[in-house]
Amino acid sequence: MPRSKAAHRSILIATLILLGATACFGQSTTGTVSMSATVSKFVEINSGGSVTLSGNSGGGVTTDGVANSPLAVSINLGELGPSNTNSFVTAQVPLKLRSNAAYVLSMSGTVTSSGTTSSRIVAADVGFGLGTVTRSGTGVSSGSDTNATSGDPTLGANGSVNGTTGRYEFTAVRSNLSAFSSATTILSGPIIMNAVPRSNTNGLTVPAFFAIKPQFFENGTTTVSVTFTVTAP
Amino acid sequence: MKLTHLTFLLTVAVLLTARQSISAQALDISSGGPPTITGAVSGSVTGSSNVTTDLVVTINFGEVSPLNTNSIVKVVVPIAVRSNQPYQVAVSMSGLSNANVQALQSSDVGFGLQNMRLLGGAGKICTQSSHIFRSPFNNDPASSTTVLSNGRISYTSSLSNLTGSTVILSGPQLSKNNSSIRQQSDGYVFDAIFAITPQFFAAGVSSATLIFTIAAGPNVPC
Repeated sequence: MPRSKAAHRSILIATLILLGATACFGQSTTGTVSMSATVSKFVEINSGGSVTLSGNSGGGVTTDGVANSPLAVSINLGELGPSNTNSFVTAQVPLKLRSNAAYVLSMSGTVTSSGTTSSRIVAADVGFGLGTVTRSGTGVSSGSDTNATSGDPTLGANGSVNGTTGRYEFTAVRSNLSAFSSATTILSGPIIMNAVPRSNTNGLTVPAFFAIKPQFFENGTTTVSVTFTVTAP
Repeated sequence: MKLTHLTFLLTVAVLLTARQSISAQALDISSGGPPTITGAVSGSVTGSSNVTTDLVVTINFGEVSPLNTNSIVKVVVPIAVRSNQPYQVAVSMSGLSNANVQALQSSDVGFGLQNMRLLGGAGKICTQSSHIFRSPFNNDPASSTTVLSNGRISYTSSLSNLTGSTVILSGPQLSKNNSSIRQQSDGYVFDAIFAITPQFFAAGVSSATLIFTIAAGPNVPC
């Protein structure tokens, strides 16, 4: 009898273990799929299209802008001495911005000249400004942008001849490159793009104007280099 | 001694009867194999490759802003189902409720079903009824995108088609046997496919949870 009880106990335990084991492979009527996704802030600046060069004598667009491609434009402004009788040499560079967040566009620029006197071309002689901001096309969000420049530097209100020195000066706020020795905000605004894929090529476009008034500058060569940077603060 | 034997036999019988009542459920959903992800940037998917383990899958689509230059992020989750009776599979969703319409919405997550197939030799082949992916889910969302007039990407079916507990699949008996134990080959597998096209969504992190439930379905013949 004791042996029988022990045997029963063993069988019972084995049965319970077996049942427990089957429970481990038991069924379930529900399953779970959890998912997450991240959308980081995104901003980009590209070329908005071809450069327009006007008032030049000689020179030309060395590397033109290609719409929706990285901005890498090179321009030879040509002759800037009095032999160029145009009132201004102007380069208009279209920019295209896109973002999924509020943005800030800044610019920094340098001007280096082979000249050595105060009559050489300096940063203050290079007029700069942003033109009309355009938000249009499918997928582009409406919004109000703040242009921190004075617009087209060749406008009469943005410059004049200095009555004392006789030199033409771009006098309006942030209207010449002397204001951009370090990165300085030139445009800002709210989110640009609605939820559309990157293959949608629309965006915010704005022309960047560069202008130099031909004068009796010291002869030599001058290089102007500017960098645009867009961020999503 | 006879009383002891009788007590023992009754105890075992009760245990087995109880076990039988558990096995009578005979409706089961589990992992159908390893899930996969393509087109992701900093994304991942985790789930068991063992078809006898519970369905517990975690999808991280990763970056779905334009920083991800892939055309689409696609996740395929194999799901195994077993039953000894007609069945239906329903899905309910929680989460993913962004107030900003430019942020990721449920309609931005394509969701479809494809590729119903035998798990193995113990799967039941019925000739009088079919396993039906309910409309509009019978598609691969990664292959069925369209561009809406506002420029946003749309799918033939998406998570926005889930309202409450939505039946996505139904059909006749799935398993030949009547075992309460999951086996490697006693049912069917289908692919649940999820897709997100990277877009200029408003920045943020979104999440959702889907519960797949199998239950007795319309009484269709096998």
